[in-house]
Amino acid sequence: MSAILECQQLTKSFGGVDAVADLSFSIERGHIHSIIGPNGAGKTTLINLLTGIYTPTTGKILLAGDNTRGLAPYKLAKRGLGRTFQNLQVCMNMSAIENVMVGRHLRLNRRFLSALLHLKSVRAGDRDCRKRAAELMRFTGLENQIDAHPSEMSYGALKRLEIARALAAEPELLFLDEPAAGLNANETHAIGALIREVAVRGVTVVLVEHDMKLVMEVSDNVLVLNYGRKLAEGTPKSVQNDPEVVSAYLGGA
Amino acid sequence: MGMLQKLRTPRMGLVVVALILAGAPLLFTNSYQYDVAIHVLINAMVAVGLNLLMGYAGQISLGHAGFFGLGAYVTAVLSANYGWPIYLSIPAALVVVGVLAFAIARPILRLSGHYLAMATLGLGILVSIVLRTEAGITGGPDGMMAPPLSIAGTPVYDERYWYALIAVLLLVTVWLALNLIDSPVGRALRAVHGSEVAAEVVGVHTLGYKVLIFVVSAVLAALAGVLTAHYAGFVTPDLANFIYSIEFVTMVVLGGTASIYGALVGALILTLLPQFLTGVDELEMMILGLILMVVVIFMPKGLVPTLGRLMPGGRR
Amino acid sequence: MQYVFSGLTAGSTYALVALGFTIIYNASHIINFAQGEFLMIGGLGSVMLMQYGLPMPLAIIGAIVLAVAAGILVEKLAIERAGTNDIVPLIIITIGASLFLRGGAQFFWGKSIHALPPFTGNTPIHIAGATILPQSLWVLGIGAVVVCLLAWFFKRTLTGKAMLAVSHNPNAARLVGINPRFILMLSFALAAGLGAVAGAVAAPITLTAYDVGVMLGLKGFVAAVLGGLGSPLGAVAGGLLLGIMEAFTAGYISSEYKDAVPFVIVLLVLFFMPSGLFGSRATERV
Repeated sequence: MSAILECQQLTKSFGGVDAVADLSFSIERGHIHSIIGPNGAGKTTLINLLTGIYTPTTGKILLAGDNTRGLAPYKLAKRGLGRTFQNLQVCMNMSAIENVMVGRHLRLNRRFLSALLHLKSVRAGDRDCRKRAAELMRFTGLENQIDAHPSEMSYGALKRLEIARALAAEPELLFLDEPAAGLNANETHAIGALIREVAVRGVTVVLVEHDMKLVMEVSDNVLVLNYGRKLAEGTPKSVQNDPEVVSAYLGGA
Repeated sequence: MGMLQKLRTPRMGLVVVALILAGAPLLFTNSYQYDVAIHVLINAMVAVGLNLLMGYAGQISLGHAGFFGLGAYVTAVLSANYGWPIYLSIPAALVVVGVLAFAIARPILRLSGHYLAMATLGLGILVSIVLRTEAGITGGPDGMMAPPLSIAGTPVYDERYWYALIAVLLLVTVWLALNLIDSPVGRALRAVHGSEVAAEVVGVHTLGYKVLIFVVSAVLAALAGVLTAHYAGFVTPDLANFIYSIEFVTMVVLGGTASIYGALVGALILTLLPQFLTGVDELEMMILGLILMVVVIFMPKGLVPTLGRLMPGGRR
Repeated sequence: MQYVFSGLTAGSTYALVALGFTIIYNASHIINFAQGEFLMIGGLGSVMLMQYGLPMPLAIIGAIVLAVAAGILVEKLAIERAGTNDIVPLIIITIGASLFLRGGAQFFWGKSIHALPPFTGNTPIHIAGATILPQSLWVLGIGAVVVCLLAWFFKRTLTGKAMLAVSHNPNAARLVGINPRFILMLSFALAAGLGAVAGAVAAPITLTAYDVGVMLGLKGFVAAVLGGLGSPLGAVAGGLLLGIMEAFTAGYISSEYKDAVPFVIVLLVLFFMPSGLFGSRATERV
């Protein structure tokens, strides 16, 4: 099994605090991974490091074998990385489908002159892009919102919109930052089903989550963080039964 | 698409504008009106560029008059002082402004909000100070003469020819702008405005796009400046005055920040405003300030988008 | 040495403008582009009120009141109404306010340049081989007094501390009963008053007209950025530093480019040191 992403002694310090310290793990292609940990464990920092929003203080991140140090998010996107955001980052100045169409940016004719002259290739590309975006919205359960505006959409729908947008880029590795945050039990279950469908399509999914039920249901592999360090790693069952994990969450039962 | 829907697409608007531009001269009875119309068109050109930068890409520039004035001066200096033919001095002016904008764009566009506003303001003011001070080259505060456009040896002074020329150029500019918006580049720009980080993670090089649109809008302003120089026949450092930068921003805000047609409307209203205020032109500044405040408070999207919503079937 | 004096004099005016910016910025993260206009009201207003027959001290007080009223009006009618926290619209609103105030001054008070009589006469004083006008001493002195008063206000009085609380964390401040709207209004009033004082005191030296606010406001903003937006100490330091740099440029390089100095500085600061001398770096949470 090939590792699509590998971390080696990854450390990120802010001032005197190590948000992530000496972290090493790998993510296997085709699996659904989850990263969990109590609040402040460094999950958001980790996902920001892996998606290029922060640069590591020390340590390496290898994407398909290549060091990604210093690469900006847009360059990582070119290498097949995608992500959604915990605090939604939906473009409110565009319609829902246009948001998804933006996701497909790298696969379209981006030449400035062609755009200016409204060349046939640009128009055809946009038509195709719109079709695919609509299809993705159907895939994520948003078929009724294709012409809607994000300001009219529910929180849960917007979370799915972000997923549709991320999928539009046809990523190989997709990071979902707390996809179930703010959702009720039904919606969470639906997101779980969606995540499994995404994995079936061949995308390696990494989930940062608080919702244990979701994590245990969908994950092949779980990484537990505490104070920026790896606390445990393994299958959902093994992690669930790990006494250190239990005590970290419950504060030393 | 139904017939009515087809008529309401952005490109049909272009036909409407073309008709208006062609028809308006039928109402003109003297050359002064042509002159005012030409100024409307020139301002509109700047406004369209600024609209792309502010409305679509979500940036701000309080120094665009600097690009305008610089374009005007470069072509004037090259053609008057160094004897360059106009068909060379004009492209040279555009290139010079483009290069300057490109050079300054990367560091400036890393800033945002107030800092960006302040930096562009500073830049514009610096340009106007230099233009005023380097009297040896620029003729100082009193300005300098610029040779008129010549076609086949005969200089073009007739306002009607200028009107036609600039109207065509403006139509082309609007067409190009509309194309740009309705393309992956345009969507990327709007995404930069909507959420920079979201745009980045889908592969949009946000800084690159900001630089692109900054340079485009600067060159458009320079083009307008170049046309002014050869139409009016002289240039003064006042062209780069920061009050004009503010006026351009007002045109964009008033007409509609994310609307190309809005930019045209904004330019029209603000250029014509002094005409209606003759006799009370001391009130002009107060009214300008009032317009800015009222529009931003009550009609934050600007005239054209707000009115568009009020019409049947209008949305967004 | 001469340059130091003239630089400090101009600098303390810039410092007061910069303080005004800082106060408003701290209460609301708004940059008030109309700040320079408060100065103008202070200076020109004093002249005008004297023309109506008021003795100078009363005229100055009247002008200050006028400026404070203008500041409160701007805050209540424009900023509060906008109901948005987006930066670009707010910038445009304050630009509109500045145009409105300037246009109003032009309309009601005319376009000519006026001079306010100096407070204690015009005979230059000789210190350390350079001459300084008595009015300059007034400018420096009143500037220093104002800064001390402000420091006392922020550190010792309840209202002052409330203002600091709002600038650090508006929500927490709300929770302990502080009303951010009131604080915002207060900050505008204070900034306007500061500006008016600075304008009135400087007017005998720099003369005053309806459009002095533009450059002074811009330079004050540059000073605030130089010192670090949000830091009162930075505002004062930035102002004085800017004044001195301008004076030295005028003396040693070229007096025509004296006005370019602030804008070159602002570009350099924004490119290389955006948080200024004393400011704090902001981070965005994703």
